[in-house]
Amino acid sequence: MAVAVATAAALGLAGCGSDSGSGSGGDGENVSLELLVPIYGDKTKPYWEQLVKDFEAENSNIDVKLETQSWDDIYNVMTTKMQNNKPPDILELDAAGPAYATDGALYKAEEIVSPETYEDIEPAFIDSAKIDGQAYGVPTVASTRALFYNKTLFEQAGITAPPKTWDELLDASKKISALGGGVYGYGMPLGSEEAQAETSIWAYGNGASWEKDGKMTIDTPEAKEALTFMKKMIDEGATQPNPGATDRTPLLDVFIQGKIGMIEGLPPIVGQINEKAPDLDWAIAPSPTKDGEPVTLGVADYFVGFNKDEDKQESIAKFLDFFYQQDNYVKFNDNEGFIPATKSGAEAAAAKPELKTFLESLPDAKFYPATNPAWGQTSGAFKSDVGQIETKSVDEVLKSIQAKADVEG
Amino acid sequence: MRELATEPSPSTSGVLDPPKTEAGTGNAATPRKRDRKRWGLTVVGSVVALVFLAPYLIMLSGAFKSRQEILKVPPEYLPGDWKFDNFVNMWGTPETPLPDNLLSTVVISLGGTLLALLAALPAAYYTARHSFRLKLPFMLLVLITQMLQPTVLASGLFREFVSLEINDTWLAMILVNAAFNLSFAVWIMHSFFATVPKEIEEAAWLDGCSRGQSMRRIMLPLVWPGIVTAIIFTFIACWNEFAASLILLPTDTNQPLTVALTRFIGQYESAWQYVFAISIIGILPVVALFAMIEKHLVSGLTAGGVK
Amino acid sequence: MQALPWLLPALVLIVGVVIFPAGYMVYTSFRDLSRFGKDRGWAGFENYVRVFGLDPLPTVLTNTVVWTVGTVVVTVLLSLVLAQFLNKKFPGRKVLRMVIIVPWAASVVMTSTVFVYGLDPFYGIINKFLVDVGIIDEPYGFLKNATSGFLSAMAVAVFVSVPFTTFVVLAGLQTIPHDVLEAASIDGAGKVQTYWSVVFPMLRPALAVAAIINIINVFNSLPILKTMTGAIPGNDADTTTTFMFKLIQNDRQIDTASALSVVNFVVIIVVIGVYLKVVKPMREVNA
Repeated sequence: MAVAVATAAALGLAGCGSDSGSGSGGDGENVSLELLVPIYGDKTKPYWEQLVKDFEAENSNIDVKLETQSWDDIYNVMTTKMQNNKPPDILELDAAGPAYATDGALYKAEEIVSPETYEDIEPAFIDSAKIDGQAYGVPTVASTRALFYNKTLFEQAGITAPPKTWDELLDASKKISALGGGVYGYGMPLGSEEAQAETSIWAYGNGASWEKDGKMTIDTPEAKEALTFMKKMIDEGATQPNPGATDRTPLLDVFIQGKIGMIEGLPPIVGQINEKAPDLDWAIAPSPTKDGEPVTLGVADYFVGFNKDEDKQESIAKFLDFFYQQDNYVKFNDNEGFIPATKSGAEAAAAKPELKTFLESLPDAKFYPATNPAWGQTSGAFKSDVGQIETKSVDEVLKSIQAKADVEG
Repeated sequence: MRELATEPSPSTSGVLDPPKTEAGTGNAATPRKRDRKRWGLTVVGSVVALVFLAPYLIMLSGAFKSRQEILKVPPEYLPGDWKFDNFVNMWGTPETPLPDNLLSTVVISLGGTLLALLAALPAAYYTARHSFRLKLPFMLLVLITQMLQPTVLASGLFREFVSLEINDTWLAMILVNAAFNLSFAVWIMHSFFATVPKEIEEAAWLDGCSRGQSMRRIMLPLVWPGIVTAIIFTFIACWNEFAASLILLPTDTNQPLTVALTRFIGQYESAWQYVFAISIIGILPVVALFAMIEKHLVSGLTAGGVK
Repeated sequence: MQALPWLLPALVLIVGVVIFPAGYMVYTSFRDLSRFGKDRGWAGFENYVRVFGLDPLPTVLTNTVVWTVGTVVVTVLLSLVLAQFLNKKFPGRKVLRMVIIVPWAASVVMTSTVFVYGLDPFYGIINKFLVDVGIIDEPYGFLKNATSGFLSAMAVAVFVSVPFTTFVVLAGLQTIPHDVLEAASIDGAGKVQTYWSVVFPMLRPALAVAAIINIINVFNSLPILKTMTGAIPGNDADTTTTFMFKLIQNDRQIDTASALSVVNFVVIIVVIGVYLKVVKPMREVNA
């Protein structure tokens, strides 16, 4: 090693030295916080850079080191960090974040924000990520799903109102698919990107639950009925070709291009359509369910704080309180286009017409059973297996997912 | 780059197609016939070139499209509205500090290549020229290092570099790249050294050349194609390394282009025009480097002056 | 011991940067890791038992053989032809040599990505082209089923491996002294005969190294399949390498994946060992 190091050093390639966060003296102890956040879109990183800058200006003894990662890579990066016992101090992630608590790695939710902030957060979101009655994650953004539909295609196919039930959905989809010319009725993304979401919307729409008494319940009659109907949609040509291998993001783009009649989407897509295809004539309706009973999938992302050897709890709380300050927090949600998870934020969001359908569906939203430590692998099993309903029997697919969900971790 | 365009230089244009017409069988053909045949090869060559370029032409076209147009259904081959400023704007996006990323890639690649070469050259020469008991084990050990999946090693490297406190530095990535590519460099240069008859070198010694002189004057020109191959291979591998950089370089200004690219991939939409534009920019320096040393790769033996 | 100073720099790099993480990989394969990566102690051979109990393993192993052998054989054959072609003199040869390096110079992830983009049935330009020239009637989802996705990925693997292999062969062609070829010609050997009896044997050392590197790289290749067939459900388009990453990413079985990566490593060592025994590219090493 010595040779190599010396050679590289002699070449002046020693890179950037470590930050000189220590020894600046002044007001009390200096603390360095590592912050790891996922990238939602092109406004994410500038937002955090500015927030960190503003925060450091107010708290000169706290040095926040920002790391951003794409959603594709962040799990991989976190796995390595955990394996080597080097988690960040603060992490923003989907429900996989609070799940780290099962390994005893996290501060409790009320330890990483002030009581005032904690009070301001919608209890439903906090509850969605409790483990054995204890919250570890503080929700940052929330979303529900709703049906985006193309009014022009509806008109051409002679459909007057958005479908409320599965049968209406199948009927409307087939009518639109029949228009031909590369146009398809319903966009069903069962590719690995987010197959668990599409599947959950359908299964929840038939009263299925993925968890009961701490056990994952995948192979259930409700789920079977839902998947069977999905298969029917595919078989009868109501969907785009090859739904089993179609990822969500590219398919949403096809909807934006006006080639798909209906697709399940979430709040950030609204801004995207407005920007990319201002001429598209579209609207949002609640997700269709089997009998028209209102229910849809809700998803939230969370902040968690890692309890490492040194005590940084106070600094973490300071930073998160800063983030949840009305101005900072509203700006974050404006940027990313999600539904705020705080009461005060929701009031601000209520003023926006484009969020109306989503806000209304919030009370009926059902979340992933993300607090169950087996949810991660179950969700993974959906991603890798559920698309097979295109070619295999529903029974076989559900059994294989159930088997993967049951593996002890 | 002008060199690229000028076709067969005067000094070589008279030479017939080596190696098969080397013995003078082409003498019977009239110059015109010969010319026609050579241009025929050019036509075949153009088709081959088009095949190899096709995906990158798609990339190039995409790099000039607008964000909306890039995902148009059905697609257009060429941009309707040429966004030349994609290539300007990408340097100043909020997603990633691209000038820093380019610098990182350059430094890591040059450092990694140089280090790999410095370590591999003596080993390749010695193993090709001498027999010793541990030679085979050594060559196998070198080879085995190449067989490990880089992504699998990233976790252990992270642990090692954190404890050495060189995590998140260029130095870490230079070491990693040099080590990952050492094997190829040793083996390819070894195989070239091995094809040079010992007698040539020995004759040089008899002529009064020192070992160093014979290395410089006789061996180097003979194995130059091998060295150039090793340089190109190592440089390109360093240039495009992703798996270890992703884990070892959390600070954005230290990250190479490959990692920077992922910053344009959002959760619900991606800035493909920048991804493509940066990919194009990433290819050019490698091709330029190749243009610079390609003639050494080709000239090899003949230029070495060994008759 | 005389050898040591010559070999030391290489040894230092290998031991310092490769042996440690490799050892760590082996160590991890004997540990019990939680779904989140937390080490919970010794696991003995449990992870290995689990690897060999994985249902998709036979499919995945077969795929791995097809993937590696198919890609490398096609690559080597194409490269031999292409190198011979590039060794001729014709107007534009230099430009062609520049062009051929492009797939090698580009990052494999990006090349795969552009193929994913181009082959998309909705906005893919390659699909549009195939329709426009009449090869297919309507856009086809090349990457939407395991068989055609796997074959497309193999084609891309060949595409990105050919440039490197071609240049190694080309460099090998340069080391063949002209007088050897002349002598062969004077002997009255035909073109094909000259190639197989004179040129090819002299290419062997370079070709052998190129083949080994290709076998290893193709075997370990993650980005091409991950990018191109990652959306396809099931394991019908997986090799052991991509399967390993699905175990981590989807199944959260970090420890099982570690054991599989050790198995993977052993398999490639055996493959290369057999290759060395059969092809004997190390004749010079042993001589």
